[in-house]
Amino acid sequence: MTIVRAQKTPDRTPPLSETSILGWMQKNLFSSFFNSILTIITLYIVYITVSGIYIWGIADATFVAENRRECYNNSLTGACWAGVIDWFDNIFYGRYPREEIWRVNFGGLLLVLWMAPLWISKVKGKIFIGISVILFYPFLAGYLFSGGEKGLFMQVMVSGAIIAFIANMLNVLTSRIKGQSLSKFLISLFRQSNASDKSQRNLILGVLVISFAAVFFWQTGWSLEGVVWTKWGGMFLTLVISGVGIAASMPLGVFLALGRQSKLPVVKVLSTSFIEVFRSVPLITVLFMATTMFPLFMPEGFVLNKLVQVILAIILFNACYMAENVRAGLQAIPKGQSEGAHTIGLSYWGTMGLIIMPQALKHMIPNIVGNFIGLLKNTTLVSIIGLFDILGMLRSISKDAPWIGLHKEPLIFGAIIFFIVCFSMSKYSRHLEVKLSAGNKH
Amino acid sequence: MVKVANQDNNVRIRPKEEFNFFQDKRVRSVFYQLLTAGTVGWLLWYLASNTTQNLALRGMNTGFGFLDSVAGFDTDFKLIEYTPGVGTYLDIFMIGAINTLLISFVAIILSTILGFFVGILRLSKNWLVAKVALAFVEVFRNTPLLIQIVFWFIGIFSLLPVVKKTIDLSFGSEMLLLNNRGLYFSTPIFGDLFWLTALALLTALVGVFFLRRRARKLQNESGAQTKILLPSLALIILLPSFTFFITGMPLAWDIPTLQGFNFVGGASLPPSFLALLVSLSIYHAAQIAEAVRAGILSVNRGQTEAALAIGLKPGKVTSLVVVPQAMPAIVPPIISNWMDTVKNSSLAVAIGYNDIVSLFMQTTLNQIGHAVEIVAITMAFYMTISLIISGLLNIYNKRVQLVER
Repeated sequence: MTIVRAQKTPDRTPPLSETSILGWMQKNLFSSFFNSILTIITLYIVYITVSGIYIWGIADATFVAENRRECYNNSLTGACWAGVIDWFDNIFYGRYPREEIWRVNFGGLLLVLWMAPLWISKVKGKIFIGISVILFYPFLAGYLFSGGEKGLFMQVMVSGAIIAFIANMLNVLTSRIKGQSLSKFLISLFRQSNASDKSQRNLILGVLVISFAAVFFWQTGWSLEGVVWTKWGGMFLTLVISGVGIAASMPLGVFLALGRQSKLPVVKVLSTSFIEVFRSVPLITVLFMATTMFPLFMPEGFVLNKLVQVILAIILFNACYMAENVRAGLQAIPKGQSEGAHTIGLSYWGTMGLIIMPQALKHMIPNIVGNFIGLLKNTTLVSIIGLFDILGMLRSISKDAPWIGLHKEPLIFGAIIFFIVCFSMSKYSRHLEVKLSAGNKH
Repeated sequence: MVKVANQDNNVRIRPKEEFNFFQDKRVRSVFYQLLTAGTVGWLLWYLASNTTQNLALRGMNTGFGFLDSVAGFDTDFKLIEYTPGVGTYLDIFMIGAINTLLISFVAIILSTILGFFVGILRLSKNWLVAKVALAFVEVFRNTPLLIQIVFWFIGIFSLLPVVKKTIDLSFGSEMLLLNNRGLYFSTPIFGDLFWLTALALLTALVGVFFLRRRARKLQNESGAQTKILLPSLALIILLPSFTFFITGMPLAWDIPTLQGFNFVGGASLPPSFLALLVSLSIYHAAQIAEAVRAGILSVNRGQTEAALAIGLKPGKVTSLVVVPQAMPAIVPPIISNWMDTVKNSSLAVAIGYNDIVSLFMQTTLNQIGHAVEIVAITMAFYMTISLIISGLLNIYNKRVQLVER
């Protein structure tokens, strides 16, 4: 005779050691005698550090004061954040004229709006967004930041940038609402969907020319007040230097990497030695070289300002590190890809531009983000040669009469800003890395 | 039956290649190379001609002769004899180079030890310890080194007590003193017979080496493990100290003592050195910790499980199975980190530590010009060091590759 249960026996609850907090603590904190001691010592260290920072930085700190004396009157043991708060605008914008600060913010906002569609799904033509931001945005931003009289070239570039930006925004709308790119939408708007390719192209070109003319005439009507570069400073200057640095060193880095892998010995030797020389010396020596030797390199009567010298130096320096990233990306592409491209008759540049680079760039994105983090941190070095970037501004707080000798708080504030920016970027790049490597495991 | 193909019938007529000058691969390759070489050569010539013109215009003389002329300024921190007004700019270069090498060397050792420690803590099974190590790494990796250096210098080492209120780190023996002028420490004065103690130490080390070799041989032959830790320790400690006492303790200490407003005797390190040392060590320890962690994680988990299965203790699993396999992945990034340490030591210029950049590239250049020569010398110095370090890396990689099957 057998007894068979008709019903399923209810699940037993998992043991307490697996679900409760106590069980977790036993497993992760107090698994052995040695571990328990380690936990207690670490807890003590954490407590000392955190409570010390809390008391100094928040509990005993002074946030509102006119000068350092008042801070001391308020509390002797706490931080004096009032000085940092008083210098907020200086830390972020340097000595940029206060009534013109909107231009800096507007420039930043434009960049964010311009780039944002890259992360929005279902947006068509992302490559064009990327190209337009590299090609046009620097000129628009450059004019926004420095202002003054527009030369003919600047007028053309600014108009181009405005059109590219508007087209970009409209493209997002049409792709999200109609599910087609802006050009397709325009063609269907004029009922030309069935027309020949040539007449479609002419239509788009016509729309471009007309809108360009309109914008061009519109922009001749206004101009912005000039702001000398010496007034630039703070976080704004840091971002300008590192932004230009990363954007310009990318193409240069690609060429250097291709040169290093080239089969032509002269090209190979030249690129390799250029890369290795700049990689083996510290950035500060390159900056000193730029400020002392660039004036000697220039033909007589031609003077580069210090900002341009510094940016050139940073581009040259960073391009070499970028080249190594690109090389690593190129090496990750199987040889079959280039062989396949050769077989279907593509030339060297066709192979690189259409087959290898698009794949390699995808691999390189996390590394490029890492490179940008490094560059952003390295940009603080320009304060050594006398530019007032964020670190330069932070250090001048202690020389300002009301806040004389206030060193620690500004530096810690700067460190916190950098930590937030760099940490979130590195988290993002790690996330990208996981995402991209998951995409590769078909 | 196998037919052997007749050679004569099998000859193919090669299609006659028409020689097209513009399509020929070799012609194109030569052309492109000439083009590149020409462009670069023209650029160099253009820059050089501008430079000579500018130098002539400003009446500046060139050449490396300035190294022999007398330097008029003094340096705070020097390890070689130098008197301002007597020493030359070559001496200044030497002081700077030695100071750079000194700070880099000490920082490399400290950061490597600390980095290994933190990297292993990162993998600790203790949740709290692992998280604290993670916080350490992330905080110091994601803030600029220059801010850290300036903070340690202005915020910590310059705010230490004044000379009168010196902190004694050696529990009252005044061997190790810290104040806002730096770290003062006693230096040993060796007596006549001290070489005997040194000899005894050397003998003990050789003895331990042979002990170890014999123990390993025994283990290879019979599998029996001999305990050699205690005898080795005894040999290393007892033999030299016995000699030391028998020869009548031929060692004295030059203790720094307060005379007037400053300490005399012993040796000292300036606050800028300490600030640079601490910040470089911590910053690079955070980088090395990540390399160590990644290296250890790269070892297949099956290795650990198999080692545990054959009965090795957890400590032995780490030291005999995991670490030896992780080393090839750990060492290359650490060595390139050493190179970064040397390069980053140039940030000394921000806090006035007398390294090669601040003494030579800044002060000397400001005093006598010669920008081209000074920049070239300084860069050559760093390039030499990085060549040596990458040479080390290559040697290591070769050795590892030989072991690999």
